Amino acid sequence: MSRVDPTFLHEIKEYGAVGIEQCFNCGNCTAICPLASDDYPFPRNVIRRIQIGQRDVLRTQLDPWLCYYCGECSATCPKGAEPGETMMAARRWMTARYDWTGLSHKLYTSTTWAIGALIVGALIVLGLAWLLHGPLVTDQVQLNTFAPVEMIHLGDLILAGILSFFLLSGLFRMFVFHFREGGKWKLPPLSVFVTEAWQLVYHTLTQQRFSKCEGRRRWISHLILVFGYGSMFVLIVLFLTWFQTDNIYPIYHPQRWVGYLAALAIIYGASDALLSRIQKKHEMHHYSQLSDWLFPILLILLAVSGLLISAFRYMGLPLATYYIYVAHLVVMMMLYICIGPMGKWAHLLYRPFAVYFQVVKEKAREQSNVTAGALSSAD
Amino acid sequence: MPDNDKLKIAVYTCYCGGNISDVVDCEKVAKAMGSQPDVVVSRTDMSLCSDAGQSQIEQDIRELGVNRVVIGSCAPTLHEVTFRNALIRAGLNPYLYQHVGLREQDSWVHSNDHAGATRKAMHLMKAGIAKARLLHPLEPIRLQAEKQALVIGGGVAGLRAALDIAQQGLRVVLVEKSPFVGGRMAQLEAVFPTHENARDLLRGLIKKVVNHPGIKIYTQAEVMGVAGYVGNYCAQVIQHSRGVTEENAEALLSACQQEVPDEFNYGLTRRKTIYRPYPGCYPPLPAVDWDNYQGEPISLNGGEPIVLEDVPTSVDVNVGAIVVATGFDPYEPRQGEYGYGELKEVVTLPQLIRHLALSKANHALEWNGHPVRDVAFIHCVGSREIEGVDEPHEDGRINNYCSRVCCTATLHTTEELRQHFPGLNIYDLYQDIRTYGRGHEDYYRDALLGGVRFVRYHGEEHPQVTAASAGDTHPVLIRVKDSLTYNEELEIPVDLVVLAVGMQPRQIDKLVNMLKVSRGTDRFLLEVHPKLRPVETAVNGVVLAGTAQGPMNIQESLSAASAAAAKVVALLGRGRVELQPFVAAVDAEKCNGTGACVEICEYEGAIAVQTFTENGKEVKRAVVTPANCSGCGACVAVCPNHAINVQGWTLSQYEAMVDAIASDIPNMAEVA
Ligand SMILES: Cc1cc2nc3c(=O)[nH]c(=O)nc-3n(C[C@H](O)[C@H](O)[C@H](O)COP(=O)(O)OP(=O)(O)OC[C@H]3O[C@@H](n4cnc5c(N)ncnc54)[C@H](O)[C@@H]3O)c2cc1C
Ligand code: SF4
Ligand code: SF4
Repeated sequence: MSRVDPTFLHEIKEYGAVGIEQCFNCGNCTAICPLASDDYPFPRNVIRRIQIGQRDVLRTQLDPWLCYYCGECSATCPKGAEPGETMMAARRWMTARYDWTGLSHKLYTSTTWAIGALIVGALIVLGLAWLLHGPLVTDQVQLNTFAPVEMIHLGDLILAGILSFFLLSGLFRMFVFHFREGGKWKLPPLSVFVTEAWQLVYHTLTQQRFSKCEGRRRWISHLILVFGYGSMFVLIVLFLTWFQTDNIYPIYHPQRWVGYLAALAIIYGASDALLSRIQKKHEMHHYSQLSDWLFPILLILLAVSGLLISAFRYMGLPLATYYIYVAHLVVMMMLYICIGPMGKWAHLLYRPFAVYFQVVKEKAREQSNVTAGALSSAD
Repeated sequence: MPDNDKLKIAVYTCYCGGNISDVVDCEKVAKAMGSQPDVVVSRTDMSLCSDAGQSQIEQDIRELGVNRVVIGSCAPTLHEVTFRNALIRAGLNPYLYQHVGLREQDSWVHSNDHAGATRKAMHLMKAGIAKARLLHPLEPIRLQAEKQALVIGGGVAGLRAALDIAQQGLRVVLVEKSPFVGGRMAQLEAVFPTHENARDLLRGLIKKVVNHPGIKIYTQAEVMGVAGYVGNYCAQVIQHSRGVTEENAEALLSACQQEVPDEFNYGLTRRKTIYRPYPGCYPPLPAVDWDNYQGEPISLNGGEPIVLEDVPTSVDVNVGAIVVATGFDPYEPRQGEYGYGELKEVVTLPQLIRHLALSKANHALEWNGHPVRDVAFIHCVGSREIEGVDEPHEDGRINNYCSRVCCTATLHTTEELRQHFPGLNIYDLYQDIRTYGRGHEDYYRDALLGGVRFVRYHGEEHPQVTAASAGDTHPVLIRVKDSLTYNEELEIPVDLVVLAVGMQPRQIDKLVNMLKVSRGTDRFLLEVHPKLRPVETAVNGVVLAGTAQGPMNIQESLSAASAAAAKVVALLGRGRVELQPFVAAVDAEKCNGTGACVEICEYEGAIAVQTFTENGKEVKRAVVTPANCSGCGACVAVCPNHAINVQGWTLSQYEAMVDAIASDIPNMAEVA
């Protein structure tokens, strides 16, 4: 028994949903969806929960995360209710629910807040750079003198720590919402979590479910982007001392081509997404929120500024290198803000976990069916 | 055609474009029939109803001197008249024709047994020939017809029918039971699908009706008796007094103190027992509500109290045809049905429409003085009830039909609400959305767009409407299993529940008995044939207009009314009516006036025993009034002397047919 709440629909609309009202629940969208199943009959069930105002039900669901927005549903919907866009909005709303600070809600629903946060981030970086930078050596490029790598690394680690804290606490809340019902835990056996853990890694790395959607090209482009971004992240957070050095390595050295490759991957993936958004080529790109635009743009800026640092250094332009380095840091900070509370890419984390939870539950059910079957055949 | 003339029978077996010949071997049938006695020609044809086929029949009559025709083809309802007309054109009496249904009675029902179907065709045809031998020429019954029609019911359908008939030059008597014309439509405001004001629309129609010299309107009147037959009905109309005059009307109206619930507003308000239902009504003169006025004295300007009196007058009107346009009543929910009658927050849709009309000026929707923030509509109340699930009504019946108008009326009302009260939350609890008319689906689309929340229940599990517990946010709580939400139970807190009640026929038992028209299982008046004769009843000269026949919206009511009018005009326009001669006929020699026939006969004035003086002796004998006789044959079965027969379908003809069917056919072996 749940009580209807007509306000929920309006709340989700603040997160960018359009046309939910028009849906007359025919179910065509769910029928056409390559990823929906009997247990996860999205997008219609998500739309229905919203129409009828079942916040608490939607909050517990994995469904929004299981959608990769191929847009088949929106193309099929006879009412123009844009189910795919509702799924997108539902993901934003879920992210905001997982975020206990309430910041994410503000950043999603208010442009002022979103831009304000980016400006604040940029100012912090600029301020820190102004306060903490080392001497500007101008006769040759000495980046590590201007920005001592240990200091930057420390900053990276602190930022990564903060970010991880937010994301992990979000993940914890996701876990609780999903596995606690009416104040009671409904947990599958721990053993299944362990045995199925490889699925988590597998899905994070391959995004394999995405390929089930039509459009392999999009999956590949998406995958390239994820890889470029992932490897850059790892390089910066874990191996910065190795990566940021005033030593000039030969071009075949991995220190150089790994960086270039990652940058190119990001530029390719992000421009692809950006172009599609501009041309509204794909269903999922018909409606764009501020964060949807910022994201690819920041990524491209990040990669380009990264490449420029390297270029200016090899060209022996000290000041240009230092300035572009600071700009690079500013962009990075803005991206962190996006990844963190603003959460567009929080899905990087939530989605594989949703798939993981789904698999774990299925496995657990299979096992209990087997047990039940064994019991009944023993009768 | 003198009987002693030598019989010359022509037999035709029609292929019906394959409908018959794909199953029945028509050639073999024709061949076998050709060798039957008296048959001078036996042919087949691809389609006899075609011009060529009909010319062949005419040619055979002229050239071969054929004097009986037997045709095996489709059902008689389709082409019997066609072929009779061919006989007339060839100069033969049309009743010397016998139709045999080889399609509906044979090929269509035995499509997987070709040999059997062919044998059956032979037997049927042989029976047709046997009957044809005994056919006599008959003449249709021709009656003078009164060029005046009676329209019962002055709702929009009755008004339209009256006007259409009068505009064709016939006179009309319109009898309206209530003191004012307009019917239910007058109680509506803006109507779908045009959003025009209902009373404005009605006013135009009423004006034309009132101004037409050929239409006489009786209000506060009822038809108390009907005698006669098509073309010549005599109806007794009783009219009650108006109770007021032009001179004293306004004074009486203001002096009258007694108040009763106002049915025009479905009991939401009260009115005096001398009243006008709404400004601009017709007739404009107020009327006394005699059902409720109990003789209370009324003082005018401090003068002597006067007591008003109803002195009914009776008029007999002679009419050729009768249009029944008695309309509908909105379904009145049972006590406690969805909380109706128990919770003051539960109303019907017609009530809400009146409530909105009464409180148009307000900026917020209020009910009982409380603001309405959330309102729920429930569809199909009193419609689409399910045997075994829903409790039967007092008379044991359930309303299993769809009332057709309520879906669009409900959605149309939600639109009105959204426009006037933008902040309102609207829930719509439906089973199916049946917005079938042109432009009606737009109301559904707009309701969705406008944020109306739809919840779908199953007829087997009705929503539960209860008072909310104390301290709840809203006074009423609806619990409903929503099939759109995977049959989960939802709780909807609301301030107002609106029941989209269906339509029921009005209480017209007396009229139905008087006119002997039939009713369907839904108790609405029944047409003869839903497709081929959709506004005629089984009683000749009685036609149906509007919602007396079933749920209809205004547009449909008017289409039906105009169709009914067209039927009346076609029937009476020439001033005479022609009826089929298949009625009872008494054999004067055998009849000795036992009167068993009179006792069994269900049709008023169809048969009576009369006394004659013959050769100085008094004899009693049954006499048939053909116009009143339906030709049912009940009398034939009971006459101890076999003195009565239905012309064209006599006992001897039946016997001959039975014998023919039971006997062998010479060439049969060839077929099997
Ligand atoms: C809530 C609601 C909303 C609606 N909204 C719309 C709308 O927006 N648009 C639309 O197209 N349709 C609408 N309709 C349908 C519309 O009301 C009907 O189609 C129309 O009123 C039918 O007219 P009628 O003449 O057949 O019947 P009625 O209006 O019922 O008229 C019958 C008349 O016959 C009289 N009568 C009854 N018995 C006797 C008797 N024995 N002797 C003499 N007179 C008798 C009655 O007094 C009455 O005047 C709505 C219906 C409902 C219930
Ligand atoms: S979103 Fe469109 S396709 Fe899906 S149920 Fe609603 S109306 Fe049907
Ligand atoms: S028209 Fe709609 S509300 Fe009325 S009975 Fe039919 S389905 Fe139900």
